[in-house]
Amino acid sequence: MALLALLLIPLLTAMVLLVATPTRYARGIALFSSLVSLALTLWLWSNYQGIPVQALDVEWATAWGLRFTLGYDGVGLLMLLLTALVYPFIIGAGYGERLQHPSMINALLLFTQSFVMGVFTAQNLLLFYIFYELALLPVFFLLLYWGGERRRAITVRFFMYTLLGGLSLLFGAVYCLVQVEGFNGDLSALATLDLPYDTQVWLFWVLFLAFAIKLPIFPFHGWQPDTYTTAPVQGTMVLSAVMLKMGLYGTMRIVFPAVPLGVEHWRDTVIVLSLVGAIYAAVIAFRQSDLRRLIAYSSLSHVGVLCAGLFTCNRLGMTGSLYQAFAHAVLAIGMLYISGALKERVGSSEMAAMGGLKARVPRLAVLFMLVLVNAIGLPFTQSFVGEWLMFAGLWQVSTWLSLAAVSTIVLGAIYMLYAYQRVMLGTDKWEIEMSDVSLRDHLVLVPLVTLTFVLGVHPRPILDLVEGPVQVLLTSFPSLN
Amino acid sequence: MSALVLLSVLGVLLLYAGLFGKRTLLAPLGIIGLLATMVVIRSGWMMNVPLVGAMVRFDHFGSVFGQALTLITVLLFIFGIDYYSRVRENVAEQYALIIFSLVGAVLLISYSNLLVLFLGIEILSIPLYILAGGKRDSFRSGEAAFKYFLQGSFASGFFLMGIALLYGSTASLDLATVQASAASASGSAHMLYLLGLFFTIAGLAFKVAAVPFHFWSPDVYEGSPTLVTAYMSTVVKTAAFAAFHRLIAGMELPGAIQTMLVVMTLLTLFLGNIVALRQTQFKRLLAYSGIAHSGFLLLTFLGSDPGAPGVLFYYSITYSLATMGLFVVLTLAKRSANGDENIRIFRGLYRSSPWLAIVTMLLLLSLAGIPLTAGFVAKYQVFLLGIEGGYILTTAFAVAMALVGVYYYVLVIREAFTPREQAPELVVSRLNWLVISFCGLAVVVLGLVPELLRF
Repeated sequence: MALLALLLIPLLTAMVLLVATPTRYARGIALFSSLVSLALTLWLWSNYQGIPVQALDVEWATAWGLRFTLGYDGVGLLMLLLTALVYPFIIGAGYGERLQHPSMINALLLFTQSFVMGVFTAQNLLLFYIFYELALLPVFFLLLYWGGERRRAITVRFFMYTLLGGLSLLFGAVYCLVQVEGFNGDLSALATLDLPYDTQVWLFWVLFLAFAIKLPIFPFHGWQPDTYTTAPVQGTMVLSAVMLKMGLYGTMRIVFPAVPLGVEHWRDTVIVLSLVGAIYAAVIAFRQSDLRRLIAYSSLSHVGVLCAGLFTCNRLGMTGSLYQAFAHAVLAIGMLYISGALKERVGSSEMAAMGGLKARVPRLAVLFMLVLVNAIGLPFTQSFVGEWLMFAGLWQVSTWLSLAAVSTIVLGAIYMLYAYQRVMLGTDKWEIEMSDVSLRDHLVLVPLVTLTFVLGVHPRPILDLVEGPVQVLLTSFPSLN
Repeated sequence: MSALVLLSVLGVLLLYAGLFGKRTLLAPLGIIGLLATMVVIRSGWMMNVPLVGAMVRFDHFGSVFGQALTLITVLLFIFGIDYYSRVRENVAEQYALIIFSLVGAVLLISYSNLLVLFLGIEILSIPLYILAGGKRDSFRSGEAAFKYFLQGSFASGFFLMGIALLYGSTASLDLATVQASAASASGSAHMLYLLGLFFTIAGLAFKVAAVPFHFWSPDVYEGSPTLVTAYMSTVVKTAAFAAFHRLIAGMELPGAIQTMLVVMTLLTLFLGNIVALRQTQFKRLLAYSGIAHSGFLLLTFLGSDPGAPGVLFYYSITYSLATMGLFVVLTLAKRSANGDENIRIFRGLYRSSPWLAIVTMLLLLSLAGIPLTAGFVAKYQVFLLGIEGGYILTTAFAVAMALVGVYYYVLVIREAFTPREQAPELVVSRLNWLVISFCGLAVVVLGLVPELLRF
């Protein structure tokens, strides 16, 4: 029941916002709803015993393998936590942006929250697909209504890319449902599919395509930089902090158990693609002059490593990848918030136009630095834990791959510090008065930074959460371990 | 049978009402008559009884389709009240012609003899030739009627020749006998049989606008009065598909015919979707989207799953509901844009009438097959059928084409939700609002609870 409430709270709030359009209180109501969701998720976490929970199982259209089944295990709970945690910040970030129709935008954000929660709790293949596609629709309107330049074309490109993956996933799902006798679409039954090797080899791409696009990994990233740059800050936050994890989660929850032989077959290919993409994106990020675009490419770079870590198919790599997923969400919110805060003060996110801001907004500069160290993966930050684990995992696969992954950290440090230099340091050329960090900025950034360091020093709670599911998953790959 | 009689009488009554100048009575009379027909069909009276020398047989299939077709015609008539309020002449005749055409549709869903199939097609089509030219002062309408007539007669010729050949090889026109002899015919008789089946199917393919027999459809859709276009793309299409299904369901299709069906499916899917990408006129877009949907519907004929008629039913009815709603919206938008049909007329729709924009979005999403709408369930079932029948690559192609299909629907949604300074002012009469809302709600409810539309 608590799970259903988790889906319904944002959904119903969103509907109320849509119908009643309380322009003045919209943000407050949305914030309250997201805080309630957070409290509920924390409560679920405190009650979690380490065994998968099946919360709800209602017949919907059983004849086609569709059941309304909700549940979660450690990984699902981690994703729920992550989602519930970032939404108050995402909605809080809206207080800065003077966007039109605040009740609409908050309703759309809450819709995404509801559907993403659905993705992370669905225990039925088709239900998963349905939530997966539904989560796309609110983003479509977020982009179309509040996006920046060229939004009309970019919106459609984003939509088509994601839908391509979605339909491919649907085809794979239908194939499994029809071809495997007795398979009812239950996610826990995926591990027992036992498809022949040849089928798994092609079915891997049919299933993985959806998540490869959603993540996205090279060369399926064509939609990402433009979309991240054009979308309103809150939209980009949703995409990078939450929706990206749908790709990671889906790969782990669906692709790995369903086609383990296919995964083994393509493992090296995917790792290499991911790392090539990660390095490529890091190099491009260095060349960016727009802060938002730089963040988009840095996200692409991080995701490449994330995906490579997952595909190591060993304990260290997978644990690291999941941990890093959490870290990346916190990081993405922080970075995007700061880019928004800077744009609010300077009026653009063009880095060439900034410079010397440190003298004007010293506290913001400090907070920016604190967020940045997480991006670079310095010790005592969350990213350090996650990346260290992933490199160790990759090392077990191949030393060279691990080295390639480490190089993205170096590149990351270069482009991030270079960006900091361009934005904050240099001569102060600003004549105008700028307000330094406001109470709202404090409320968003300080908890995020704190979280980064607390979990960086004490990663145990998160690691404990994912340990069980990772162990279960490892049994799918006996030959690799 | 009773439905046939009732509908024919209804058509004549409408003509008389027109003769005595009772214009306001026409639509209500038609709606009451249609509802009565629906009740009669639903009651199951004379069901499963061979009629007219065992040439017509109202079975479960016919009954279910019959109810759905009359329901859609009722929606059309409700739409017609507003639509025909601006037309001065020949309104009664147009209503009556629609009803007469519906008689043909009812024959198509209940025939058990090839001769009746032919009769059904002709009764369905001849009123349509007239209806397509309903706007007498419009050049395009005349062109549509003429094109439709020429190509329609050509198809009828094909079809008749097919029947003759089938008769030549099996010495019977009875559907069951013809189907049964698929396996037994051999030698030259087999050749004759194959050719007969080929031509018959070609004739039907013309009616469902399957490639390469689709050439009439975009021009006729575009030129005909919108109400008639709505009728053609819903009732006529559904009836033709039902007839198609009756013809080949349950028979062991010869290999060559099977191949022909697969090729036709692939071509229809490809051409319908790809050409639709280039359309900027909404009515033409719907015509090509109609061809594309024919492709998906053809996919249900490939396997031999017992669930196929159910899928066909669900798909064609949900498609009809969505299309009907969209044609009503188009009429309203076209009016406010002084007859323009470009998809740009929808720009700013959300600002001026949010509810209408939301419903339009739902209808388009349903056609695109996005989850939680009926269109998704329909497509999903079709894919299931395709894979179950072993047509994995064909189904994969259909999935890819479904993606292409999403694109042109999303472009229209984008227009509706793009703000514009001077948003179009749409005047929506209560009845039209009712039709649009009904269609919009139906595609969502049927998507959430597919069992409601049980076969």
